[in-house]
Amino acid sequence: MSRTWLDNAFWETPQKKILNAISETVEGNKTTRKVWKLDKFNDDGTENEMFKEVVSFLGKEKIDESSKKRLDKKQEEAEVDKHKKLEEQRAKKLEKLFEYKLETFEIPEIKESKNRLLKSKLRRSKSVPEVNLYAILIIQDAMKNEGTN
Amino acid sequence: MKELTKGFVIVASKNPNFYIYACNLAESIRDYYPDANITLFTEERFVDDRAEVADNVEFCGGHYREKLTGMARTPYDITMYVDADMECEHEDIVKVWDEMKDYDMVFHELTEDRGKFYAVHEFFYGSGIEKYRLCGGVCLYRSCNPLVQEFMEDWDRLYRKQKDGSWRPEGFGSSQFCAELKHFDQTTLWWLTEKEPKYKDLKIGIFEDDIRWNYFTQYDYSGCDKGDKPPILRHYSGCLKKDRYIV
Repeated sequence: MSRTWLDNAFWETPQKKILNAISETVEGNKTTRKVWKLDKFNDDGTENEMFKEVVSFLGKEKIDESSKKRLDKKQEEAEVDKHKKLEEQRAKKLEKLFEYKLETFEIPEIKESKNRLLKSKLRRSKSVPEVNLYAILIIQDAMKNEGTN
Repeated sequence: MKELTKGFVIVASKNPNFYIYACNLAESIRDYYPDANITLFTEERFVDDRAEVADNVEFCGGHYREKLTGMARTPYDITMYVDADMECEHEDIVKVWDEMKDYDMVFHELTEDRGKFYAVHEFFYGSGIEKYRLCGGVCLYRSCNPLVQEFMEDWDRLYRKQKDGSWRPEGFGSSQFCAELKHFDQTTLWWLTEKEPKYKDLKIGIFEDDIRWNYFTQYDYSGCDKGDKPPILRHYSGCLKKDRYIV
């Protein structure tokens, strides 16, 4: 029976005191893989022999390299996730804004207004305050016209 | 030679909210394309001053999918049908007629990554699995071609029969069809474009940068390839509470 270590072992902490590694043991036709989380030191302060075995088998540089690769991948995934979430939030905000605009267009003074320019500005608004601003301008315009008629 | 007439068709039926969406859509098209021809098909009971945004208003029935009747009744030689719950937000809307090229009908494509936002994308047909390929949210079509006109009339007629259960396209099993597929005009569209020999010679195309012409807001939720150009027509289909009064 021989035990080897897969080359994707990585440091769990920047201090390199915890090592995550997968052992592979071959016994006859059977191969067994096991995941290990190894502390550099035992509870009594002595060095963990298995930890030493992995470092010696793979080499510190190889573990540094796969740790960096793993970290980069995780950061990249986190970045993609963050971007997706932001996009989803933006889309949901836009959907709400659309409903808000439709509701605003139902205000009688706005509904009946013939001021195409201001109504177009309202429709193209990118935020609730901007919608509100153009809604006020349309109502002011309606009141002004009411006064002149 | 007589110049072909070109115009937009919008349909609002059954629910008053669709009338509000439709007028908003027409206004938004006018924002970017002031002299567009727009025909609004709607129920007489909905019409108020807002319908003036359309230069042609025609009355239609109250069926949920009255859109198909509107598409068949288009007054234009070349028609761009747009679902009412959409909004125009880009000046490239004026270029829509260039998309006709030498096609008879042009659609938005229901690709693999967009499929997850549709109620049904895959279905059992015969002994295998098929997929809807075309999305009927927008459709540019050569309505002056008698075969296209016939297609639109058949789509409307057969969909109604499919919905009320008096017709089921050959090859569909009854359980999934009755539970999920018979309510969709997409099913009839798939059948007519993929299985009906009468229409096999119709040239069916996909809009260039087709996502821009039917940009579902859900496409921003995850993973879809959205291209690098801004949407022309944004589709608010999935998020609106269509049966709840807006005010």
